[in-house]
Amino acid sequence: MKPETVLNADVRFTLNGKAVAWLGSPAAPLLDVLREGFGNTGVKCGCREGECGACAVILDGELVNSCMVAAGRASGAEIVTIEGYKNTPGFEILDRAFAGAGAVQCGFCTPGMILAAACILRNNPHPTTEEVRKGISGNLCRCTGYNAIVTAILAAAGEGEGKW
Amino acid sequence: MVSYLPQSLSEALELLASTGAIPYGGGTDLMVEGKNDASYLFLHKIPELGVIAGDADYIRIGASCTFTRVADHPLCPGILKEAILQIAAPAIRNLGTIGGNIGNGSPKADSALIFFVTGSRLRLVSKRGERIIPIKDFYLGRRSLDLRPGELIAEVLIPKMGYDRYYYRKVGARDALAISRLSFAGIIKTQGDRIVNLATAFGAVSDVIIRREDIDAMLIGKTLAEAKTVRDNYLAAYAEAIVPIRGRVSEKYRKRVCMNLLRDFLDTMNI
Ligand SMILES: Cc1cc2nc3c(=O)[nH]c(=O)nc-3n(C[C@H](O)[C@H](O)[C@H](O)COP(=O)(O)OP(=O)(O)OC[C@H]3O[C@@H](n4cnc5c(N)ncnc54)[C@H](O)[C@@H]3O)c2cc1C
Ligand code: FES
Ligand code: FES
Repeated sequence: MKPETVLNADVRFTLNGKAVAWLGSPAAPLLDVLREGFGNTGVKCGCREGECGACAVILDGELVNSCMVAAGRASGAEIVTIEGYKNTPGFEILDRAFAGAGAVQCGFCTPGMILAAACILRNNPHPTTEEVRKGISGNLCRCTGYNAIVTAILAAAGEGEGKW
Repeated sequence: MVSYLPQSLSEALELLASTGAIPYGGGTDLMVEGKNDASYLFLHKIPELGVIAGDADYIRIGASCTFTRVADHPLCPGILKEAILQIAAPAIRNLGTIGGNIGNGSPKADSALIFFVTGSRLRLVSKRGERIIPIKDFYLGRRSLDLRPGELIAEVLIPKMGYDRYYYRKVGARDALAISRLSFAGIIKTQGDRIVNLATAFGAVSDVIIRREDIDAMLIGKTLAEAKTVRDNYLAAYAEAIVPIRGRVSEKYRKRVCMNLLRDFLDTMNI
């Protein structure tokens, strides 16, 4: 058997541009690995059932709920959390747009929401309101009623050409 | 516990036979169970399971293709894309796979409903070889599948023909993320005025998706006008065939919704 086939308490992947190794169970939820193993507490835990999107991260360029990913599934992958995305020009634009539209209240949903927004705009730099709503449909927000968030993402789209 | 990340199908089948690790597609069903010490066989690196291709008769979709890939792929039929785009939300569709949707054995599986109604086949592989069976034969009963030890779902084979027009409805509690409370798909192919193929399937009603070729046969071969004359008998046959299991939503309500959807399908298709 080739050595890369067996995942035995040594899962290697790239986290926010840095090579890391997870030494716990390959079946553990990536959510816990990121929060407890690597201190990325911007990844929030709202439900552990794939329903709320608070734990969303970007895996090889795609938005995924990290509670629905076993650590071993991330082997060899590139993971970006809000901690990593914070250092991008796209984040600056989204951050300003969210603040400007009053799209952040308690902030619990915000990291997942920002990453969802980044993925929407990367695939489709000029989305319609409907496309934005669909894109964030897996991200629950108890506070804002979503309109401010949609407004913020549309505003960011207007400003952020080429930055996603 | 050790997990495995095979790089080829033969390696995966070897491991499946020798270790008993659990096949892991996208994990969106498995992770809900939350078994931290499970031994998984991750399937996403296996090139053979990630292919979407067409041959003369079938569109073939590899088991580890995600919902997002299927929804974006030009070869995949419209009825399948429509059903898939109503599954959960992007962050689940980027993970969830076709093989997992079938492999969970649920009558609520939304892509499986489309494979039932289109008369699709499954290619199952093991170290010993492969077999191709109609999807209907794969579901034996409540959460019981004809998946033998050491076997993986490799591909779904969707017929290219037979569904010129389709009808799909999912009646759920919420738009996104709701596991369908009830779903219905109907397809029809006509030549001139004559029905050459017609099929219906009901999801999330019974232990297994309901697909009754014997009842649908009442309408096949008839002109639309002739089909209208047996419409009442056809509906009566389904009224008898649909026996909802007990669930959170009352059986009576679900049966009524099924019959309404079936009637609406016939109306839409001019029958
Ligand atoms: C929030 C949320 C919303 C959801 N909404 C919907 C919905 O609207 N409609 C719907 O249909 N489903 C829904 N689901 C369920 C789930 O996403 C789907 O069933 C999905 O298709 C499962 O695929 P997977 O690859 O993630 O499965 P996994 O979790 O990887 O596997 C599921 C089962 O199939 C087996 N398996 C996987 N691949 C193979 C293979 N190649 N051969 C043999 N066995 C295999 C596994 O061993 C396991 O038993 C939802 C789930 C969540 C968490
Ligand atoms: S914690 Fe992962 S989706 Fe809610
Ligand atoms: S701001 Fe509180 S959950 Fe969204």
